[in-house]
Amino acid sequence: MNFLAASIESLGAKIVGWFTVAYGMFAFLARAGLLLLDPTTWNRATFDVVIKQVYFTAVQILHIFLAYAVVISWLIISIILSTARDFGLSEFASEMTIRTLVLELLPFLTALFIALRSGSAINTEVALMKVNNELDALAHCKVPPMQFEFLPRLVGGVISVITLSALAGLLALLVGYLAIYGVNTAGFEPYTRTIAKILDFQILAGLVVKCVLFGLAVTLIPVTAGLETPKKLFMVPVSVLRGMMRVFLAIVAIEVVSLALKYI
Amino acid sequence: MALSDDVARVSPDLPLRANLSALDNIALIPIYQGHFNVTESNRQALQLLAQLGHDDIASLRDSDMTPAQRFTTKLARGLILHRPRLVIDRPGAMLYDVPYPLFIRRLAGQADMTGTWEIFDFSWNQPLYSE
Repeated sequence: MNFLAASIESLGAKIVGWFTVAYGMFAFLARAGLLLLDPTTWNRATFDVVIKQVYFTAVQILHIFLAYAVVISWLIISIILSTARDFGLSEFASEMTIRTLVLELLPFLTALFIALRSGSAINTEVALMKVNNELDALAHCKVPPMQFEFLPRLVGGVISVITLSALAGLLALLVGYLAIYGVNTAGFEPYTRTIAKILDFQILAGLVVKCVLFGLAVTLIPVTAGLETPKKLFMVPVSVLRGMMRVFLAIVAIEVVSLALKYI
Repeated sequence: MALSDDVARVSPDLPLRANLSALDNIALIPIYQGHFNVTESNRQALQLLAQLGHDDIASLRDSDMTPAQRFTTKLARGLILHRPRLVIDRPGAMLYDVPYPLFIRRLAGQADMTGTWEIFDFSWNQPLYSE
């Protein structure tokens, strides 16, 4: 009986904990959203942090990311083409390529890439700022941390995920064309027609919304996880671990919901 | 220690922003409080550092500064707030590389003082101030 009561109590405490974390994140997002619309937020210092965030998240890794996107695209396209040929479905190869790579796999991998590289860095930095009292120092000087430190990271993360996903998608389309039709213009018309047929307004809007959610997941969750860190240095790795687990779960949940909405 | 908004604190509990240079740490304040542009804020920050005799540390980040340079940056950050009271909290914890009462006195002589400076230190350090 005691064991049952303890289990229920522990489960209840976990559920309350999840709700508290979720509430904290949404409240933070709501505050960030309000500040985003406030013209006084956008001074040169805030704008500079957005530019730095985009630079560190997207520009600095561009060559590695594009090489990675080309290799992944080439491999997946080769698998799709060979499978389609085996089953006599070659005419659907380009459609399968676009649906699998451009709409699903590349945005998902982009979010994971940015989460591992920038999300973990953001989580560590915010946790250290909290532990070292840097946030208190900013508040003492009336420099609002939300405007100066957090909002620019959210905006920069969203911009980075959207642009890197778009670039990877364009590269995949190019690699797909070369793999299916080779280096000639013969397949240009059917290929572009297939692209136009799949990428209608609704699908494109859905893709943008998904990328925005991915961008928020890889920045908002690390920031809030960093802010939850107790003022103890040894808790910083624990905060990053928790934050990264949440980011991973959020990215998977966004992808699953997006697939369910599209195909079920 | 909770103090009212008319106090600027220089304290070991209020560190510099680690990823910003000394100049940026100081210039942030006119940008957010006075709504000055970056050029004007940088000018004010550099002028203050020069006045304190430390304009050479403008590009240094916290980890590259000596304790005295870090203290000077914190002091400049406190001064640019333009608050009527400046409280220096436990200077010995920040200035362990120089004879600090003399160092602070020298900085106070160089700074454009408009308010009062107060030093909160441990009682056993009192003899240092009479030297």
